[in-house]
Amino acid sequence: MGLAVKDRLRAKLKGGDTTVRILLAHPMDTGRANNEQGELIPAHFIQDIRCWRNKEEVLTIKCGTATSRNPYFSFVIAGGASDDTIVIRWVDNLGEKGKVETKVQ
Amino acid sequence: MANNTTHIQRRSVLKKAISVSTLALIATSGLLLPRILLAHWPTDAFTAETMEDALLALLGEAEVVDSSVVKFKVGSPPSYAVNGASVPIEIHSDLANIERVAIVVEKNPFPLAMSLDFSSAIKLPFKTMIKIAEDSNVIAVIRAEGKLYKASRFVEVDIGGCA
Repeated sequence: MGLAVKDRLRAKLKGGDTTVRILLAHPMDTGRANNEQGELIPAHFIQDIRCWRNKEEVLTIKCGTATSRNPYFSFVIAGGASDDTIVIRWVDNLGEKGKVETKVQ
Repeated sequence: MANNTTHIQRRSVLKKAISVSTLALIATSGLLLPRILLAHWPTDAFTAETMEDALLALLGEAEVVDSSVVKFKVGSPPSYAVNGASVPIEIHSDLANIERVAIVVEKNPFPLAMSLDFSSAIKLPFKTMIKIAEDSNVIAVIRAEGKLYKASRFVEVDIGGCA
């Protein structure tokens, strides 16, 4: 497993735009790998990640199994002000969900 | 009288048979699985086994133009990755009104790696990490104002990352 144990989210104002960085803690099992006992590890991966800024949905990321373990994303949202709220929600193929929230710095 | 009850019985049997078969139908169509919560996850595109099928399922039938307006980097240093399990990728473009971006790895068992839906507020670059099974072309497709643009890069991978 990676070092991340918990979902992390950072949003920073840079040159008038908001740079968002996300690191999620998730095994992202493809369903094709074996564990040490040679048993198949069932598929378990994030399928859908959504990002909101102040209740306005700005980005949807749909992932297949080819997204790395502990997925990392970085992107830019035009404009923004400090104290904007950035919310990330994710759902995986087994229906598990997560939510992270932060303020723009 | 006896005749009547058999009729009623037959009816209820029929009704049960119908409801059982509808339930079975719903179950097999996957409606009862938690997957339905993700109504918008394009299963067809993500489980397509060739690049063409995946792009067709995701972006529809439109001409894809090879274009230098799509700029991207895979691997570090570019076009090389020691570990295929996490290959950095950075997508950049000066196109306006980008609606969707797809990342496809040609030689992966399921080529479509990621599909991004942008609102007008999103700006590139977009960075992430993907898995690449073996030496392969990686293709980024951008849909902007109904047109498709793509660019491809060949990446060498030392240790495959999809096992």
